[in-house]
Amino acid sequence: MRYWLTLLAFVLAAIGIGACAGHTWVTPAAVLRAILGGASIESALLFEWRLPRVIAAALVGALLGLGGAVFQGVFRNPLAEPYLLGSAGGAALGATIALLVPLAVSQAFSLPVLAFAGAWGATLLVIGVSRAAGALDVPTLLLSGVAVSAVLGALRSFLMLALSDETVSLQVVLSWVLGGMQTPTWIGVGGLAIVTAVALAACLALASGLDKLGLGETMATAFGMDVGRFVALAVLVGSATVAASVTVGGLVGFVGLAAPHIARWRLGPLHRSVIPASAAIGAGLVALADAIARSALPPAEIPLGLVTAVAGGPFFLFLLARSRKKW
Amino acid sequence: MVSLAAERISVVRTDRRLLDSVSFATGESGSIAIIGPNGAGKSTLLKVLAGLETPTEGTVTLAGEPLAGMPAARRSDAIGYVPQHFNPHWDIRVRDLMRISLERARLENNIQATLQLTLARHGLEAFRDRWWSTLSGGERSRVLLAMVVATDPPVLLADEPSASLDPRCRLDLIARIADHGRTGVCVVVMHDIDLAFRFFDRIVMMNGGRIVADGSADSLFEPSLLDDMFGVRFARSRQEDLRFISAGWPLRSDGKSP
Repeated sequence: MRYWLTLLAFVLAAIGIGACAGHTWVTPAAVLRAILGGASIESALLFEWRLPRVIAAALVGALLGLGGAVFQGVFRNPLAEPYLLGSAGGAALGATIALLVPLAVSQAFSLPVLAFAGAWGATLLVIGVSRAAGALDVPTLLLSGVAVSAVLGALRSFLMLALSDETVSLQVVLSWVLGGMQTPTWIGVGGLAIVTAVALAACLALASGLDKLGLGETMATAFGMDVGRFVALAVLVGSATVAASVTVGGLVGFVGLAAPHIARWRLGPLHRSVIPASAAIGAGLVALADAIARSALPPAEIPLGLVTAVAGGPFFLFLLARSRKKW
Repeated sequence: MVSLAAERISVVRTDRRLLDSVSFATGESGSIAIIGPNGAGKSTLLKVLAGLETPTEGTVTLAGEPLAGMPAARRSDAIGYVPQHFNPHWDIRVRDLMRISLERARLENNIQATLQLTLARHGLEAFRDRWWSTLSGGERSRVLLAMVVATDPPVLLADEPSASLDPRCRLDLIARIADHGRTGVCVVVMHDIDLAFRFFDRIVMMNGGRIVADGSADSLFEPSLLDDMFGVRFARSRQEDLRFISAGWPLRSDGKSP
C-alpha cells in the first residue's frame, strides 16, 4: 500500500514539476491559480498551453510503461522493449510518408493516422512472417521483428533520400523521429486519457496469462494456456498501446524498457501489480523528461527521445548496479 | 475420478520414432511408475498423456473424451503435470507462485485462505515469503509439487521429479506423489528403480519407444526382465512387505556378471 502511495506522489510531483518548468519557470502557486481558473495572462497560458502538454506527456509515458510491461512479460527478456517488433520502424515509416509525401489530407490528420497504422501494421507483418515461418514462439517473433525493422528502416531512408529537396527539410522527419510532444487541446488530452484507460484495462486483462507465461511455456500450457494464441494477442495489444504513444509523442526510447524493471524490482513479478505500476512510473518519467526538454536549453527545446536516452540511460545503469537479480 | 487412456500412440520427430504404437490406460485410481533406459520414450509418453505434445498417430482420451479437442482449461483442471525442469523466469516469492497456480481454479474470493491451507498441507508455511532463487533443490521440488496439486487435479503426471535430490528429499517427494494414487491417478516417470518398486502398485517398463512389460510391482519384481532391459544385475530382497532392489554389476555381453 505504501508503495502505491509513493508512486502516486511521484507521478503528481513529476506533473507538478513539469507544470512549473519551461523556458520561463513558474511557482507551484501560479500553477494552482491556473488550475483554479485564474484570470491572469500567466494563468491562461499555463492552462491552455503548458498543462495539457504536461498531462499528455504523462499519458504518453503511461502508454509506454504499459507496452513495455506487456512486451517484457511476453518475451521474458529483460531487454524487451516496445520497439522490438517493428513498431518503431513502422511508425517512423508512416510518419515519414505523412511528412514528405504530398497527400490529399492535412498533415494534422495524416501524421497520427499513418504513424499508428505503421506501428501496428508492422507488428501484424511480423506476426504474419512468424506464422509463415512455422511458429509463433518467442525466438521466431524476435528474429522476424529484427528482419522487418531492417526492411522498414531501409524503406524510410530511401524515402528520405528520394523525396527531400530544398523545399522539404529532413529536419522535420528527424525531429519527429527523435520524439517530442506537440501541444494538444484539452479535448485531445481527454481523448488520450480515454485511450490510456482502455489500454490499461486491456493490459490488465493479460496479467494472469503473462504470469503463467513467466513460468515457462511448458508450465503455462500445463496450466491450461494456449501459448501461441496468447502470445499473438498480447503482442497485438502491446503494439497497439505503443502505436498510440508513438502517434502523440514520436519515438521516445528507454522508458518502455526501464519502467517495468523498476516496477518489478520493488513489487515482484506479478503482472497485476507490475502493469499499473509500470504505467505510473512511465508517466512520471516522461513528464520529468518533457520538463527537462523544455527547460534545459531555453528557448530551444531538446527532442524528448534524446532526453530520455541521455538522462535515463545512466540512471538505469545505476539502478542495475544497486539491485540484486530480482528484476 | 477420471482415467487417462492412450491408444496406439506413435510420435515421430525428424525421422526418429520416439514412440511406436503405444497403448496404455491408467484406470481410475492407482500409482503407476514408468521406468526404462534413457531414450526409451518415457517422457514423450508422459507429455502426450498430459496433452503437451501432439502424437503423430493415435488418440489420448480423458474419461473417455478425446484430449485433442478438449478446451485447455478443462484439461488443466483434470491433469496436473510436474515437469522435469522448472525455473520461473522472474525471481518470485513462493506465495506468488502458489497464487498463480490457484488462479486457475477461479476461487477469486477464497484465494488467501486456500493459499494458506495448501502451504500448510505441504509443510511450506515457513517458505511463504521466500524467493525462489533462495530455495534449495529439495525445497524447490516440494514447492513445485505443491503448486501443481494445489487445485487437486484427479490425475497427476510427474516427469523425473526427484532428479538431483538427496536421498531424504527423494524419498519424501516420491512418497508424497505416490500417495496421490490412493484417491486419484498418478503416473511418474522415474529412474529410481528402488523407489518405483517400493511405493508404486503398477510398473510399466519401456524400451525403444515401446512398452515392454506392464504389471503389478509384485509380478515384475523377480523376473530378469529388468536386468536385461538395463543391462545391469539387480540385487533384490524383501523385508516385511517392502521390496528392495538396487543395481549391482553391469552385465557382460554374454549375459553373465563379471
